[in-house]
Amino acid sequence: MTAATASTTRRPPFWRNVRVLRVAFQAVFVVAVAGFLLFLLDNVVYNLERRGFPTGLDSFDYLKQPAGFAIPDSDFRSTQSLGDALLVGVQNTIKVALLGIVLATVLGVLIGVARLSTNWLVRKAAAVYVETFRNIPVLVIILFWYLGVMIRLPPIREAVEALDLVAVSNRGIVIPWFDQVGGGAAFGVVALVALAAAAGVWVWRTRRFDRTGEPHRRGLWAGAVLLAVLAVGFVATGRPWTLDTPEVGELSTSGGFRLAPEYAALLIALSLYTASHIAEIVRGSILAVPRGQAEAAGALGLSGFQRMRFVVLPQAFRISVPPISNQYLNLVKNSSLGVAISYYEATKVTQVSIAQSAPAVQAIALLMAIYLAFSLTIAAVTNLVNRRLTLRGRA
Amino acid sequence: MSAPPPIRRRSAGEWARANLFGSRLDTALTVLFTLLLAWVAYRLGRFVLVDARWEIVERNITNLLVGSFPRDQLSRLWAALFVLAAALGFGAGAFGAQRRREVAEGRAEALPRGGIRRLVPLFLLVAVLLWFSGTLEPALLVLGAFGVGYGFNLLGQRTPRRLERYVPLVVLAGVLAAFLVVAAFGGVGWNLWGGFLLTVFLAVAAILLSFPFGVLLALGRRSSLPAVRAVCVAYIELFRGVPLITILFMAFFMIGFFLPEGVDAPSLVTRAIIGFTLFTAAYVAEVVRGGLQSVPAVQVEAAQALGLSPFKTTTRIVLPQALRAVIPGLVGQFISLYKDTSLVFIIGLTELLAVAQNVTKQPDFLAQGLYVETLVFASFVYWTGSYWMSRESQRLERRLGLGER
Amino acid sequence: MLNVRVFRTWTLCVLFSIVVVLGAGCSLGDDDDNGGDDAANTGATENGEAAGQAGGDGGLLQQVQDRGTLRCGVNDAVPGFGFVGEDGEPQGFDIDFCKAVAAAVLGDAEAVEYTPLTAEQRFTALQSGEIDVLIRNTTYTSSRDGTEGARFLHTTFYDGQGMMVRADSGYESLEDLAGETICVLSGTTTELNLESQFQALGVDYTPLAFEDNEPLQAAFVEERCGAWTSDKSQLAGIRSSWPEDQGGPDGLVILDETMSKEPLGPVVSDGDDQWADAVNWAVIATIQAEEFGLDSTNVEQGSDDPEIQRFLGQPVEGEPFDPGLGLPTDFAVAVVSQVGNYGEIFDRNVGADSALELPRDLNALWTDGGLQYAPPYR
Repeated sequence: MTAATASTTRRPPFWRNVRVLRVAFQAVFVVAVAGFLLFLLDNVVYNLERRGFPTGLDSFDYLKQPAGFAIPDSDFRSTQSLGDALLVGVQNTIKVALLGIVLATVLGVLIGVARLSTNWLVRKAAAVYVETFRNIPVLVIILFWYLGVMIRLPPIREAVEALDLVAVSNRGIVIPWFDQVGGGAAFGVVALVALAAAAGVWVWRTRRFDRTGEPHRRGLWAGAVLLAVLAVGFVATGRPWTLDTPEVGELSTSGGFRLAPEYAALLIALSLYTASHIAEIVRGSILAVPRGQAEAAGALGLSGFQRMRFVVLPQAFRISVPPISNQYLNLVKNSSLGVAISYYEATKVTQVSIAQSAPAVQAIALLMAIYLAFSLTIAAVTNLVNRRLTLRGRA
Repeated sequence: MSAPPPIRRRSAGEWARANLFGSRLDTALTVLFTLLLAWVAYRLGRFVLVDARWEIVERNITNLLVGSFPRDQLSRLWAALFVLAAALGFGAGAFGAQRRREVAEGRAEALPRGGIRRLVPLFLLVAVLLWFSGTLEPALLVLGAFGVGYGFNLLGQRTPRRLERYVPLVVLAGVLAAFLVVAAFGGVGWNLWGGFLLTVFLAVAAILLSFPFGVLLALGRRSSLPAVRAVCVAYIELFRGVPLITILFMAFFMIGFFLPEGVDAPSLVTRAIIGFTLFTAAYVAEVVRGGLQSVPAVQVEAAQALGLSPFKTTTRIVLPQALRAVIPGLVGQFISLYKDTSLVFIIGLTELLAVAQNVTKQPDFLAQGLYVETLVFASFVYWTGSYWMSRESQRLERRLGLGER
Repeated sequence: MLNVRVFRTWTLCVLFSIVVVLGAGCSLGDDDDNGGDDAANTGATENGEAAGQAGGDGGLLQQVQDRGTLRCGVNDAVPGFGFVGEDGEPQGFDIDFCKAVAAAVLGDAEAVEYTPLTAEQRFTALQSGEIDVLIRNTTYTSSRDGTEGARFLHTTFYDGQGMMVRADSGYESLEDLAGETICVLSGTTTELNLESQFQALGVDYTPLAFEDNEPLQAAFVEERCGAWTSDKSQLAGIRSSWPEDQGGPDGLVILDETMSKEPLGPVVSDGDDQWADAVNWAVIATIQAEEFGLDSTNVEQGSDDPEIQRFLGQPVEGEPFDPGLGLPTDFAVAVVSQVGNYGEIFDRNVGADSALELPRDLNALWTDGGLQYAPPYR
């Protein structure tokens, strides 16, 4: 035994020394990977130069060139630059992504809960929904909603007008919207006052609840105060907003808020598809909450709804945050399929730019960078939410 | 020991009262949903059976299934189908027999067999395809293929124990042989494949090629060497953070530029495969990473105590356990791939969805609004395949979960 | 416990089969079935020999001849010019010119591998060497000649951009389209022309640009857009197939105004003059044949006229005439006998014998008042 201890103090030769090997291996690995990437880059630069395409950092100057194409449903003029066009595209992506996330979440949670309902019919209906939409490619759903539904609405000459408020045709669905006619600044002040009042009421009711234990109903109170102040302020500042109702013309509608068929089809398809995934996640996370929790809640006399609302769902929510944020990310990425139905989001704008002589390599690299930025944003927000939830859970 | 409590069978009325009319809200929901479902079923049924003009699918069924595959070489496809049926039947039979033996020896738990019900979506798909093809010949050939598959299934069940380890080899050889039957010996290279054939081929090729790559990435991501880990994380995050369509664009527009002087640019189909492989490898890496994490650290420590090198530990101890755990995840990834192949429509490859759109431009069908019919058909094909595979995957998951651990 | 040996065999099998598939696929995947040719065996050697991308290296003519197939970039969506029939075979005006080039260079009009391309991909495919020649109703413009690194050859079809509307819409000129939504195919000169034309006219409109013709056609049918703009030949093709329940061809009107000049012709990549010349003269041969009165029925009979003899590669005073294009001296015979002369190609696909029934107009021979004029073969 003692003879062995003498040998452990001697350093192993360098070709068996783990530390040396680690560094050496990493060095070789980095060199190999970098070498490979440089080889690829070299080829790209060489091939681009040979064809006369721009390389180097100034190759992104193409963004300053005039676009030459128009973007529907926006103020973009064809004389503006390609960079501006890309910005409009990103805006459109955000428009469809934000609303899509909201709709998908609402629908997904409802269906996820419905899948666990005590009512057999509701359960089966939800299961059918999920199994249908999960197993069909999202592009097929998008094409179906566009070709099969949106453009099959009545043509503009036969547009359906419901109560003079809503106009439906295959050139868009128009709903009434607000139109500013008077002093917006004054109303802005009123809005701020209303928000402050609502916040104050919220805090007051919460404090009262802490003191006396009466149900605070702070949501109702704050909401009521908000609406009251807004209403009074609206009248007091001389009704600065009126309702803009849609008018159906020969070729298009005017007024109101118009949902282009391309936008509507993409939004609905993405929401339905993502909702089916979110429903599965919600169901899984509710099932992951230990049964004892629900049973204990029942033993304490909470009703079914209260059990869900106060015991099960909050715990399920914590489990479901990472997978649901993954689905949000998928929704943003799937919005790139708007290129198939001519919705001018970022990918479509990039495609059209490439066709109008923007350099392909740079344009696609820029597009990928944009989507990476979206991914990182969503990942960062998710991490933030996750961290807050964990702390709450431990307290 | 007392007997288990008796199971009281509920009558239909009692069941309905409990499940459908439990409370006032329940009753209202039942009524509402019955109306809703009835309306949906009516509209769907009326469309499929009455309104739709399926002629476009009937006339183009070969186009939809194989695209521009030379019609005089279709016999190769049928031959390949027979070979595949034989190989897969054999594998299924051998695997089933092995399973049954393990259950009998008490090493594994028995699962409900499921039997013929498991194949219902597949049968449905085949039945619909045969109905659209109209002639008797394909039906006979398909029946023949099933017969061959069943025959080889019986053969596989009789595999002697000592030859069991070669069964996967035989199955793989069979799949390879099927591929060669179509593509080699003066056959049809994969550039000319189209339609549903191309869909399946792209998915299978991508998952097979991305698998080793993904495993390496996952191992690299868990490596203690910071440089290796950084590179692997960068790759995974890059390819998971961008939409598949941008990767396909990149593959299509740019692969030619990445190649050095003197190398021919690869064909469109090859580029699609490269794009899908790069994309899938990142997702496979994440799935495998989960599997690697699920292997208890104790295993690694025990291996080290026994003096195994890191390489041997990984390949002989960690990976076998990890990979078994990720098979359901891999199948899930394959199902996603199967659906994502529809994206090549946007870049001009003619797989199933693209053909479904293209046939509406034929002079006989132009401008008649038949795109819904073809879209519904394509959705049906995708749906049956995907649904069947996800059900099998769930079964597999249960089987592996309850298994030899 | 999972048997480690089984697992190892398994992984080895998987890796081995992947390698084999890759190897087999790489050497076989780029094959075409040359009906009779030993394609599999030549596959492995072809990739070794077929070095160099199109343009800049020279030698594409030699490569194509070695390879034994012509790789032609085409359209699969335009009736009359390039589309796929029910039998899965490509047909059309442009397809026939691919066949003519193949007949001239390889002697076999069927030795062609067709690659359908979208408008956005076509030039990149040509530049990267994926196709040898692009015959896909492509308009000859200066910027394409310049920045896109493309070389345009003899114009095969003089076309122009037009606007198609429904007959019952009452539109008679471009100005009537104020406020209308107009469908256009993305990535084409059509899109740019539309914008610049309407800007010049000061007419307001909403564009709807699709990647593919299918949603575009659907949008037009359902009146999502009230007008469709494209090359007049394409519009004529679509109009000819318009179904009866939508009013038939008479339910659509192509407005008189021609919004632009659209000379369509084959395109090769810059830098390989020998290849460009070979393709060019293969195309010109069809026009020259029509000028001489030769067609697929009588070309093989030969002639006593020394001009025609020279053209057909028959010996004139001993030697057959070889202009040094690198083509066989009797390539014209192969082209005309296997594909036909310009008139036959035109009539068969877009003219009197086809569903489109386009008049020859600008595409008639110069002797009939049109623009098709073959440089002399001497």
